[in-house]
Amino acid sequence: MEKVKVMVVDDSKISRAMLSGHLAKTNFEVVAQAKDAAEAVQLYQETNPAIVTMDMNLPDADGIECTRRIRSIDSDAKIVMISAMKDVALVARGRAAGVSAFLQKPVNTNDLIDTLMILCQNKIGRVALMRESYAKAFVHAFQQGIFSMIGEHCDVELEVDESRFLTVQGIAVIIGLTGSPAGRAIFYMDSDTAMKFAAQMLGVEELTEDEASETIEEAANIIIGRSVSSINDIFKDKEMRITPPGTIFGDGIKIASLKLTTFKLSAKAKFGTIYVNVGFAEGE
Amino acid sequence: MDAKLVNPFVDACTAVMPQIGFDTPKRTKIYLRDKNAVSRGVTVIVGFSKELRGNVVYNMDEDSAKFIASKMMMGMPVAEFDSMAQSAISELSNMLTAKAATNLTKLGLEVDISTPSLTVGKNFTFKITDAQYLTVDMDVGEGHVIELDIAVDHK
Repeated sequence: MEKVKVMVVDDSKISRAMLSGHLAKTNFEVVAQAKDAAEAVQLYQETNPAIVTMDMNLPDADGIECTRRIRSIDSDAKIVMISAMKDVALVARGRAAGVSAFLQKPVNTNDLIDTLMILCQNKIGRVALMRESYAKAFVHAFQQGIFSMIGEHCDVELEVDESRFLTVQGIAVIIGLTGSPAGRAIFYMDSDTAMKFAAQMLGVEELTEDEASETIEEAANIIIGRSVSSINDIFKDKEMRITPPGTIFGDGIKIASLKLTTFKLSAKAKFGTIYVNVGFAEGE
Repeated sequence: MDAKLVNPFVDACTAVMPQIGFDTPKRTKIYLRDKNAVSRGVTVIVGFSKELRGNVVYNMDEDSAKFIASKMMMGMPVAEFDSMAQSAISELSNMLTAKAATNLTKLGLEVDISTPSLTVGKNFTFKITDAQYLTVDMDVGEGHVIELDIAVDHK
């Protein structure tokens, strides 16, 4: 998916670098950095960003005047005011000029990303947001986890899963996600793949079904745990956590995906395909 | 598995079930288990974490699930355990676990709960802990039973 373009307007090089840094790991991409109002207007026309972050104090005009100028070129421009001061009078003047949201310096990464997401939600959609912000973290962790556990590089495919039921033949490890967003991740594979996966992970020829299932649980813990920590790394206040695994064994296990935005990740190893199905609660 | 940690879950049942029309839920059995549990037909797993980590499972047969769902939906007949009925049972599991979490807070243990995972089918077993766990049968009335499997992780 295309990255969402952001322009940062701030006269301080440090502030611009900090904001760009906050956004570097996300689906937002800083395509332009302006140090004053004149440059902001020029770069806005050149790069057509989806969102602008606006400092209040600029050398040639204040942020409100700059907002007015940008909005006179594009009346749909989405502008987030980021300033050290945030008082009622400023907010009122900003609103009148067309500022969409206000944040106070120093900006908390989580607030910034949440605000940007809310503003461009219509543009890119909720599912795309979930995919870029959360599901992608699972893709990386899945890929790295598989490699470190069985020494095989597998490309991980990611797709939106709209089926009402996830059907599993074999073993499914369910790990709950708490915090924000809440959800659940399911690591699953068929019985034959499970035995081979566990044998390869442990470096043994043969093993019992119990040993295999414990190994699969541990693998699930590692992959889901890594995914969640990388999400926490970006969204400092999310504090997502994982619950202990619940493991299901059987044929034709049907797990309902209720009120969840769900993604299916698959990794094709030589001996079979390994899946992760991850769902995030709607309404977060 | 500390038995006093079970009470918040049982109390949640006795507090929440009357709100949806089951006036006198009764605890009929309580026992320690270490073997995998067997699905009765409809199984909902809800995980929790923070100061206490673990899983709670609400396990019931499909008839009971339909009966409870129907009652939750103001007596609307539930012939099939369809997505509407699944949502109702999933929501009930969420309510029960959220209430249990509130009860645990009163013991000084803060927990967050995950979204429920509802599983349909009889031909499977599930494992929620490596250690022993407690099973409580709650008779909600008219012969319908919800089995609660409660596992708390002490790591």
